[in-house]
Amino acid sequence: MAVESVGAGLIAVGAGLAVGLAGIGTGLGQQDVGAAAVGAITEDMSLFGKCIVLIVLPETIVIFGLVVAILCMFVLPGMAS
Amino acid sequence: MFGRKGSKKGNYAFAAAKVKAKKASLIGNDEYSKMLMMNLPEISRFIAESGYQKEMEELAGRIEGIDLIEHATYKNMARTFSGILHVMQGELRYMVSSYLTKWDLWNIKVILRGKTYGADAESIKEDLVPAGKLDDEMLEKLLSLETDKEMIAEFGRMKHLEIPPEVINTYKADGHLRSIEDYLDKLYYKKLLMSIDPSSRPKRLFQDYVRREIDTVNLETILVLKMEGIRGDDVMEYIIPGGKQIDKKLATQLANAETISAAANDLAQLDFYDDIKEALDAGTGSLRDLVAGMRKYHMRQAKKFSHLYPLSVIPVLDFMIHKNIEVDNIRIIARGIESGIDREVIKGLLVI
Repeated sequence: MAVESVGAGLIAVGAGLAVGLAGIGTGLGQQDVGAAAVGAITEDMSLFGKCIVLIVLPETIVIFGLVVAILCMFVLPGMAS
Repeated sequence: MFGRKGSKKGNYAFAAAKVKAKKASLIGNDEYSKMLMMNLPEISRFIAESGYQKEMEELAGRIEGIDLIEHATYKNMARTFSGILHVMQGELRYMVSSYLTKWDLWNIKVILRGKTYGADAESIKEDLVPAGKLDDEMLEKLLSLETDKEMIAEFGRMKHLEIPPEVINTYKADGHLRSIEDYLDKLYYKKLLMSIDPSSRPKRLFQDYVRREIDTVNLETILVLKMEGIRGDDVMEYIIPGGKQIDKKLATQLANAETISAAANDLAQLDFYDDIKEALDAGTGSLRDLVAGMRKYHMRQAKKFSHLYPLSVIPVLDFMIHKNIEVDNIRIIARGIESGIDREVIKGLLVI
């Protein structure tokens, strides 16, 4: 019972790390992209659409993190049993 | 790890994207050819549609024709440079503001010369470019001073443009502004080079650019003085230290040479020799071609490195060079057409 709880806890920590670290990576990426996009939009409003696409690109990293976290939470326990 | 990069290092991403968007709206090279075919009112209309509308409208009530174009372009440039400096932070702001101090020098020289020759405050004001650290209030204060002597006394109170007493004494003794102007030029380049920390490749490129600019200023000084028959140590007095290719030894050789042609071998080792070769061969009356050649070289250099480091001071520098050249080109075209100069000659003077 105790071993199972430790295993479940570690899986939860892994899932948290996957989302958390991916979120930090996304934040670091978006920091410069976002600032550059705002700089460009203030000069030329027609760039708004292109800039939004570029700002959203780093978000994919956090989605990968989320997918890994979901796998950790729902697939790993099944594999273990 | 989580510290905001912008606070100390500078907001490079924001500033670089902003200046790149601004650069995209500058007048293109093909459009200069069209401008050469226009008359003055058409040029006014064209530049109003190319980003100078606000300034043209502000000044249109008071001045017209060539004066309107010249003042509107200067005003626009000052506003643009102040605008980009305003949004910068950290070391980026420090470097760019040091670079823009050259407009403080320009303004001070204009006011000093104006006061010395008794020009009225309004006409002096029209030639000012308030893009540096001296704001409108400070410039108004300098303009309101009656004489150049009062102005020089005011310099003593300025922090970043302090003039030592011996330079002021030299000016008082001979009455020539050159001692003060020369001192200010040297001070500007010294402080600018000090403001660049060459710890990264883009900053080293910026430093190299400034040092090349010193080379061209020194070469221009040497050639102008040579044309006036001044040689040797008298020339060396005006040489600004810190040049990249024209060091003290080469400067001395150039200064001591009898004629410009005699110095051709020394000049041949310079990077920008190919750009000035034609002007040098043409003889002594072609200083303007020579300066145009050197400016073309500068622009080529800026173009060469502008795409290398997108998140650095380089795109900002590149934009400032291009904006300055655009304003100069518009003024050259407008002034040339006003004076009835042949269009091919005007075209040769443009930096494109």
